[in-house]
Amino acid sequence: MEHVIVGLSGGVDSAVAAALLVEQGYSAEGLFMKNWEEDSQYCTSEKDYKDALQVCDSLGIPLRSVNFSREYWDKVFKHFLDEYRAGRTPNPDILCNTEIKFKAFLDYAIELGADKIATGHYARILKSGELLKLARGTDQNKDQSYFLYGLNQEQLSRAFFPIGDWEKTTVRQKARELGFNNYYKKDSTGICFIGERHFKEFLQRYLPAQPGDIITQEGKPVGQHEGLMYYTMGQRQGLGIGGGHGTLEKPWYVLDKKMEKNILIVGQGHDHPDLYHRSLSCSHVHWITGKIPKSETLSAKIRYRAQDAPCRIETTAEQSVSVVFEKPQFAIAPGQSIVFYEHDICLGGAVIDSRWN
Amino acid sequence: MPYFDHSATTPVHPDVLELMAITQRDVYGNPSSVHAQGRKAKSIIEKARSQVAAAIGAKPDQIIFTSGGSESNNQVLRSVLNMNKKHIIATAIEHPAILNVLKSLEQFGLSHNCISVDPNGTMNFHEFENSIRDTTGLISVMLANNEVGTIQPVQEIVKTAKPKSIPVHTDAVQCLGKIPIDVDELGIDYLSLSAHKFYGPKGSGILYIRDKKFISALIIGGGQESGLRAGTENIALIAGIGLAAEIATADLSGRARNLTDLETQFKTGLKEFFPNAVFNGNNVHKLPGLINVSFPGFRSDILVAKLDRAGMAVSSGSACASGIVEPSDILKAMGVEDELNTSTLRISFGSTNTADETTDLLSAINSIITS
Repeated sequence: MEHVIVGLSGGVDSAVAAALLVEQGYSAEGLFMKNWEEDSQYCTSEKDYKDALQVCDSLGIPLRSVNFSREYWDKVFKHFLDEYRAGRTPNPDILCNTEIKFKAFLDYAIELGADKIATGHYARILKSGELLKLARGTDQNKDQSYFLYGLNQEQLSRAFFPIGDWEKTTVRQKARELGFNNYYKKDSTGICFIGERHFKEFLQRYLPAQPGDIITQEGKPVGQHEGLMYYTMGQRQGLGIGGGHGTLEKPWYVLDKKMEKNILIVGQGHDHPDLYHRSLSCSHVHWITGKIPKSETLSAKIRYRAQDAPCRIETTAEQSVSVVFEKPQFAIAPGQSIVFYEHDICLGGAVIDSRWN
Repeated sequence: MPYFDHSATTPVHPDVLELMAITQRDVYGNPSSVHAQGRKAKSIIEKARSQVAAAIGAKPDQIIFTSGGSESNNQVLRSVLNMNKKHIIATAIEHPAILNVLKSLEQFGLSHNCISVDPNGTMNFHEFENSIRDTTGLISVMLANNEVGTIQPVQEIVKTAKPKSIPVHTDAVQCLGKIPIDVDELGIDYLSLSAHKFYGPKGSGILYIRDKKFISALIIGGGQESGLRAGTENIALIAGIGLAAEIATADLSGRARNLTDLETQFKTGLKEFFPNAVFNGNNVHKLPGLINVSFPGFRSDILVAKLDRAGMAVSSGSACASGIVEPSDILKAMGVEDELNTSTLRISFGSTNTADETTDLLSAINSIITS
């Protein structure tokens, strides 16, 4: 019988994933992972651990714990800071999957004797001949294939997403039926290690902020920014500019950052033309099957919550490609990942470097 | 299921369990009451006090009952708040129930020195002597360490402290039933014990107090325990610690010999198939039956998990509230490198372990590290 180690976060998704494994007759074990050292000497992940323990106790499976905070710091967090320092907008949750959950955690689980690992991701693995394909989760709203585009065949062959074809509401209902304490626990939002903390405050502890001017494209100063790293393309909230600075009473948006001059460029209105670009170039390209797809019906998301948009891959090099969308895309942000799909299949992705029209 | 983690806690001795059950059921009087039920309860408490006192060579009225080692340690350290001399000396390898209390007392103006230890885990005596100040009001040094078992030179510490009239406390939580404890021979002023480390119940401990005038109460209320620990006594737990202390010290040399035999069997057996094993701590001045051993090239959390799966309970380093194994601060203080530190298991034998179980443990370890 296959031995499966399921990563338990204390949340409801991984809890139900564990329950399904047990129901399906797998020999299962829980593994609780800590990726971040807390500031205080006391373990604040204790609450999550207790929830995970309650799940394992009621399923009758053992729960173990492991600390990957050093790996997380070296492989994910350092890169996260480097990207912010360069004025980009990284997505650490993607690296967390490729470097931690499906590398450090996977290796650890295999060392513990596991054949596979399971997680509570909303995504599916489909077999197509010799190849494994990553498909979107059935719940369109919860689909997490975006975060998993960096996985390779070897990692997929070891992975198991028991709730990939479940709806979130059904997952919660199942957790409730099983008597899990965490059935009502709210979904985690934002970046895991920052949690509910104030993002600016958090980043300030690691990166010195350099305040500077906010100007319009015409060069008119309209305010002061607190440090370019705090802003991302298309951002509307928190610019601190009243509508009165402009000619129209339209909200202000971040159009661009000029790192070398420490200047934030803004414009008014969601329909501002400079908020939209049709082309982008990206690097660190990864294809899940290992090959460049030859699809006529390619679409891509430029951030997790973006809509899929039809596009084509214009030029291809080994590690970087240019992408042209059918329609201009709103607020393409360097540092974010572009993830490619063919219908429901996630093909792979890359990290956005620049955009243009 | 073989259990080799007696330094963490021990199973309750069957006689102790029976006594506690009967006491809990039948002796419901309040020890402060003067009627028959109250007197019965009182006499059980006083019997337990005598039993504990006898186990450590103390007088019964020098013992107060607490909820365990942590409370006893807290009570002694916090009493320094009411003393004139506000400097405390401890070692770097004390239990968190000492070290974290010291940290928390800084804000109230209490300073402390934590004396470093040598690679065997023995306190550096010169550093200790040099750190004594005119304002030193307490010395608190564990009798033996919980992770490596190294016995500290408490008698010598007392010899140095006595002429300077500095009281000495020892956290002896790991020691009862393993090495002889005589408060007069040691010369110490305060001593902490916890019942669950010697086959008694959890939530039950004692504080030995040579002279009560320097110690203040943590819990104030009714006048129980000479006014040093208010609250209606938990009679069953107190009866339990009394009997457990008596049993643990009844045939001490025999018990210690059994533990040493198991320890020797394990060490010899392990060296046969894993000569790279590194044993940490003092080879001679140590608690019998406690082994701290590093497996270079292996992660201790994996070893613990695999042994757990094989039905064998051992421990590794120190685990936080979410079960995560962290490098041991004690091994760090002894100068053990991080890599070896996180390859370390603690195996602590107890009175119910047998040679056959030890053989099983060895073969389980063998199959894990050769697979």
